[in-house]
Amino acid sequence: MKVTLEVKPRQKPYLPIEAEGIVPRTFFEGTDSLTVFRGNKELPLEEIFNVAIEGEAESVDEVEIIILGDSSRIKRVGEYMDGGRIHITGDIGMHCGNFMSAGEIVIDGNADAWLGREMRGGRIRCHGSAGDYCAAGYRGEKRGMRGGTVEVFGDAGDFTAETLAGGSVIIHGNAGDLSGVDMKEGELTIMGDTSRACANMSGGMAYVHGTVNDMIPTFRKIGQEKVNGEPYTRFSGDIANRGKGTLFIRNYKYLD
Amino acid sequence: MKINDVVCPFCGCLCDDLEITVEHNRIVAVDNGCTLANAKFMSKEQLASPIRRTGEGWENISYDEAIQYTVDMLLDADRPLLYGWSGTHGEAQCIGVHVSELVGGIIDSTTSVCHGPSILAIQEVGHPGCTLGRVKNRADVVIYWGCNPLEAHPRHMSRYTTYADGYFLQNAFRERKVIVVDVRETETARVADEFIRIKEGGDYAVLSALRAIVRGKGDVVPESVAGVSRSQLERIVTLCKDAKFGAIFFGLGLTMTRGKYKNVRNAIELVDELSRHTKFTITPMRGHWNVYGSNEVFTWMTGYPYAIDFCRGIAFYNPGETSAIDLLARKECDACLIIGSDPGAHFPRGCVEHLAEIPTVVIDPVPTMTTALADVQIPVAVSGIDADGTAYRMDGVPIRVRKVIEPTLPNDREVLKSIHAKMKEAKGQ
Ligand code: SF4
Repeated sequence: MKVTLEVKPRQKPYLPIEAEGIVPRTFFEGTDSLTVFRGNKELPLEEIFNVAIEGEAESVDEVEIIILGDSSRIKRVGEYMDGGRIHITGDIGMHCGNFMSAGEIVIDGNADAWLGREMRGGRIRCHGSAGDYCAAGYRGEKRGMRGGTVEVFGDAGDFTAETLAGGSVIIHGNAGDLSGVDMKEGELTIMGDTSRACANMSGGMAYVHGTVNDMIPTFRKIGQEKVNGEPYTRFSGDIANRGKGTLFIRNYKYLD
Repeated sequence: MKINDVVCPFCGCLCDDLEITVEHNRIVAVDNGCTLANAKFMSKEQLASPIRRTGEGWENISYDEAIQYTVDMLLDADRPLLYGWSGTHGEAQCIGVHVSELVGGIIDSTTSVCHGPSILAIQEVGHPGCTLGRVKNRADVVIYWGCNPLEAHPRHMSRYTTYADGYFLQNAFRERKVIVVDVRETETARVADEFIRIKEGGDYAVLSALRAIVRGKGDVVPESVAGVSRSQLERIVTLCKDAKFGAIFFGLGLTMTRGKYKNVRNAIELVDELSRHTKFTITPMRGHWNVYGSNEVFTWMTGYPYAIDFCRGIAFYNPGETSAIDLLARKECDACLIIGSDPGAHFPRGCVEHLAEIPTVVIDPVPTMTTALADVQIPVAVSGIDADGTAYRMDGVPIRVRKVIEPTLPNDREVLKSIHAKMKEAKGQ
């Protein structure tokens, strides 16, 4: 089954649309009255999108949703997704793929903040850049993302993989400040630069293939090790937090 | 007529020992207060009636018209923002929550631009706090981190710390050690026993280093951390560990600099670590007199302390998304009611521009910078001067602010009540 949702122009284009109903399961189970919210107004899906559904599906995994047009202010697409595929051809708003447990989301453009928040499983690939709190947790929550994979081909914002507690996060560009802060488990890979990586981590593993600026001063230097034949410094910490995490860093600078 | 024990409705200290002299329903003298208090009590330029913007300027309108305008504006909007609240009393904040819920809007207080990060940190790791009275009577080490009480909370040091007598201290002034941590040498730093000067953006690193040293793992810490030598950090840790009772106060230098709430979290975790050796507490230096009250009221009514989104009928909370600055900067709201705050004076430019574009109503006694962005302003009595109500001090102690002169205008509570009643009527409830 192929579901094509084309975003219509809106009178107030900046007001966010909350569309947690846009997940493969909704279309697999059939929808006559799917609604989305523009602020406090509940609207039929058709008022925001041109909707076209082709074909049938035997299981949720056979459902593919394609989102066309300016979806940069559409929030919560793919929330609690448990199978199937969502392909976003432009940018996507906040909270895309919150809590998803299976399936795949592909974003051709950029993703706004909280991409894959508290994700449990499945896969997100973002070909542009991601905002702050990519693959992170929620306010006050001790554990964030617990499983699955988030891969960002551009840059990611601040607090990437905050409170990471499982799964893997790969940022091909640079990550912002405090990436991997408070992480507990799982694996974070940053191909470019970041700053203050993995502050207060208690466990898990991180690789930074570029430079960590303002390196947190409470990681214990274990020594030089080779990663793919290149020399890296291995750290363990965060000692301030009785942490047992491991960091492999190509270059680092302290704020001294 | 002299009135004793008046509460000052200006900063989070909520000093309750002012003496006000009133003649012919006018305040003529203020004693015991600081200069900020004097300015607040003696200001005179209240608006006399609600005003509405016309093509060329402003026209006076009646309270009924102004309230009707506000109700229509809120009901027409898809995502209205109700912002401010720290300059009004708790009873009015309560009605504000009811109005927000009824209209399906977002309610946020000035917390989101001052100590919001402190609350986010507290939600992660808790709050080892205490009352100011306890600090006054017991603390022999006081740390001011990223705040300048001598200028922002002028009587904090004389009422609660450095210059105050302490019941359990023989000679409080001599026995109390004051440590100031800041990026520049402030007035407060000059009276401190120990001043730690940190490079900008280095608070987090210094806090981490202190935690490691307290744990006896100082060997991992480099010689210098963000401009502070390891030997000074070690000296501070010894001072703290030797304290009988330590109190940390922190301000926007910690909450609004790089890392924001993670800085505060690190500070709380330092307190946690120190409390394995002695007694330590931590308190945010709340700015507006009743900003803490907004958090208390919102929390017991909605479950969340600020930035609460009622658009979907239930409370949703996510500062960064549902906080005023972010909503305005991203143009995600389409009407705004402002009460007890002056965002026109201190919000970033993009936010102010959006406020000017959307319909905005201000409830405030005096013309402010925000008036310039508004379509309607409704003047009200001033809480603590000609209106009474409940406020929360920076340590969470509720204090009733009094009315010292008779009002000539309705107060926030009354105006909001009429808005709420009219709105219910319009919704057929
Ligand atoms: S310190 Fe604050 S509460 Fe006390 S008198 Fe001055 S302004 Fe008022």
